[in-house]
Amino acid sequence: MAELNELGAKQVAELVASKKASAAEVVTACIARIEERESDVGAFQYFDGDYALDQARALDNGPAKGLLHGVPLGIKDIIDTRDMPTGNGSRVYPDRQPISDASCVALSREAGAVILGKTVTTEFAYYFPGKTKNPHNLKHTTGGSSMGSAAGTADHMFPIGFGSQTAASVTRPAAYCGTIGYKATTGDFDLQGVCGLAASYDTLGFLCRELEDISLMRAALIGDTAKAARAETAPLRVGFVRTPLWSQADDATRRTLESAAAKLASAGAEVSEPELSAGFDELADAHKLVMSFDAARARAYEYTCHPDKLSPQFTDLMEVGRAVSYEDYRAAQTHSVVCRRQLADIMTGFDVLLAPSAPGEAPEGLSATGDPMFSRMWTLLYVPSVTLPVAKGDTGLPIGVQIIGKPHEDGALISDAQWVYDRLK
Amino acid sequence: MANLTHLNVREAADAVASGEISAQELTQECLDWIYAREDEVGAFEYLDPDYVLDQARRLDKGPRLGPLHGVPIGIKDTYDTADMPTAYGSPIYEGNRPAADASAVALCRAAGAVIVGKTVTTEFAYWKPGKTRNPRNPDHTPGGSSSGSAAAVADNMLPLAFGSQTAASVIRPAAFCGVYGYKVTRGGFDPRGLNPLSPTLDSPGFFTRALGDIPLVRSVLVGDDLDPDARPDDSPPRVGLVRTVHWDEADPATREVVEGAANRLADAGAEVSEPEMPDGFQYLSETQNTIMAFEIARGFAWEYINHRDKLSETFCEIIETGSSTLYDDYVAAVALANRCRAGFAAVYEDVDVLIAPSTVGEAPAGIDATGNPLFSRMWTLMHLPSVHLPTGSGPNGLPVGIQVMGRLHADNQMIVDSQWMWDRLV
Repeated sequence: MAELNELGAKQVAELVASKKASAAEVVTACIARIEERESDVGAFQYFDGDYALDQARALDNGPAKGLLHGVPLGIKDIIDTRDMPTGNGSRVYPDRQPISDASCVALSREAGAVILGKTVTTEFAYYFPGKTKNPHNLKHTTGGSSMGSAAGTADHMFPIGFGSQTAASVTRPAAYCGTIGYKATTGDFDLQGVCGLAASYDTLGFLCRELEDISLMRAALIGDTAKAARAETAPLRVGFVRTPLWSQADDATRRTLESAAAKLASAGAEVSEPELSAGFDELADAHKLVMSFDAARARAYEYTCHPDKLSPQFTDLMEVGRAVSYEDYRAAQTHSVVCRRQLADIMTGFDVLLAPSAPGEAPEGLSATGDPMFSRMWTLLYVPSVTLPVAKGDTGLPIGVQIIGKPHEDGALISDAQWVYDRLK
Repeated sequence: MANLTHLNVREAADAVASGEISAQELTQECLDWIYAREDEVGAFEYLDPDYVLDQARRLDKGPRLGPLHGVPIGIKDTYDTADMPTAYGSPIYEGNRPAADASAVALCRAAGAVIVGKTVTTEFAYWKPGKTRNPRNPDHTPGGSSSGSAAAVADNMLPLAFGSQTAASVIRPAAFCGVYGYKVTRGGFDPRGLNPLSPTLDSPGFFTRALGDIPLVRSVLVGDDLDPDARPDDSPPRVGLVRTVHWDEADPATREVVEGAANRLADAGAEVSEPEMPDGFQYLSETQNTIMAFEIARGFAWEYINHRDKLSETFCEIIETGSSTLYDDYVAAVALANRCRAGFAAVYEDVDVLIAPSTVGEAPAGIDATGNPLFSRMWTLMHLPSVHLPTGSGPNGLPVGIQVMGRLHADNQMIVDSQWMWDRLV
């Protein structure tokens, strides 16, 4: 049997519920792994092993609380916690202690989760990186912004971590760290207590190693127990979307995607390449424009009162956003609405879409987090997305594929992604 | 200069910019009037006059910061302020000091506004009222949830105050207090630091005593200075009258006001029609409530789990309703709302603005409840920008008016059209 720290969240919950392991034993195993690896990986912004163990013991001594009883969670440090500082990855908020839990934390706690610690984020979930290193090769970035949750999950420090995505902040670090990344349908998870980057797009997600853990979290947080929307016998209809940026993906990524499409077809899926109208070519730029406009408003306080504590990257984003005209913003938003409806029409012919997660493997160096280009469009379109680690690139680092579903049909997406994963991994 | 407290935002900003008055003088006048009236009206949750005057004096000494330089404004106590406590209308957050300003506050401050104080809100911008009374008649409710902001502007305490709307929290208090109340296209203003109630519905807004002030404040928040789709000046808008499925629940006086407005606009040359609403429109009030309850139950998980004893009965009820709402029912409600939103694109091909009742009637007597949100629920759910026009008074002598809805993200055009209508109605 695998070590306790290597189990998925659902496996942990089942072991603890059946008394085959205690929450304290699971947390102890996670702590041991963290102590072994943290000085290399640097996944945590805040970690207090004794306090985590106290929570686990309290759970062991009490009645079963819910679906997450005994499951250790990593919480991205833009998510408020009542009992741990929350710095938003910013020098403006070095010792900030929120007075309440974010709603997702409160609901997880109520369902019996152990809040293991706060995981490293880039500054305000944008570009300026934190300390985390890619556990597969410490000279390479983890990707951002949910870097600590991705690295911690990939490195077996905890089974599941909260992330959030405004451009590619779940998908990209999941792909770079070789773990599963899930971005929910935008709006499905409440964001109370989550530091926003751009309100038009901010979406919660998870980094984990087992797809079933995503369904578990959805059940715990929003009561969604939906599974397959498709009859088991019907072939999966897969739309392979190279996206307008295909030429910017490296050879290994293109090979991975093409081979995935071929493997799925030979496993019985109906694979075709839907045509996206020319309007979709503009979406990556529209996303960039709206994100900067939103961020420039949202961080007005920090920009006007603490400009010296913002990174050059963030200051640049603010200045770009302030220079965007409202008319251009409105045009981008209006165009996005049209494309969302077009995509809904396209998706009637498919169960899922298959697309690149990132341009390639995690780039070398820790001063940047890689390019978010391959997620901008999907984030703008509000669709749920799962990244699956299915291959290795030329330097031996992970490459993922992105599986995209229909809005609010995340449960069906997870079922379909499991079918895909079983055939690709 | 006569009565400084009667100046609107633009007049006040111009008077300060020209040196006719100082920010300090203007602020002092407002404070004097607030102190004369506050015992009766109760618009403020937090007000520190020395600190307010400090802000004004600093502005007088420095360069002109922007279009709101020296203008005193009020902030609903659901918006975070770095320099004033923010309690969201709940004892759970008594004494809470946010680490940062909400984006709307930061942007107004950067444009030179004097932040006078925090105005009274209902509990978490939902139903349980604060202490505010209707300045037109203190025995009546000012409406909620933006109670203090509406009352303060109506009573000439301030020329501008911020509110927010999830069901009817701007339009209704504007109607009850007799001021302009503007709710932005949902998503049109950044919500950072505005305590969420139901995130897919929450929309910032504000109260003014001049329609022309609305584009001015928009320019500060989003830089929306012009509208390329604007019709030629002063051509009549095409007006759609929407009685809604709740028409029979409106008071006779309300129905008269709305129908009278439609007739007068037609007489003045506007093309007035009664457009067909998208399929499912009649269900939107319930749909709004389903979505709001589901989202409140998730958003206030921490408060409900840890501080249930400090939540009002009515807030616990909406949380419990939301907790027992199935995810599938929530998604079905969202899908219906999306279909109707798409349907409104066709409605707005034939009209420029819609007009409808703002409320059931005048402000009800009593301050234990804030009145019925019925007539705004569906419009908030449709994400449309809206503005209340205080066109007259009802049988009890309290204000009544009409609600105007514009196209998505065409907020300034809606204001231009509202001005055209206002000039013909009042």
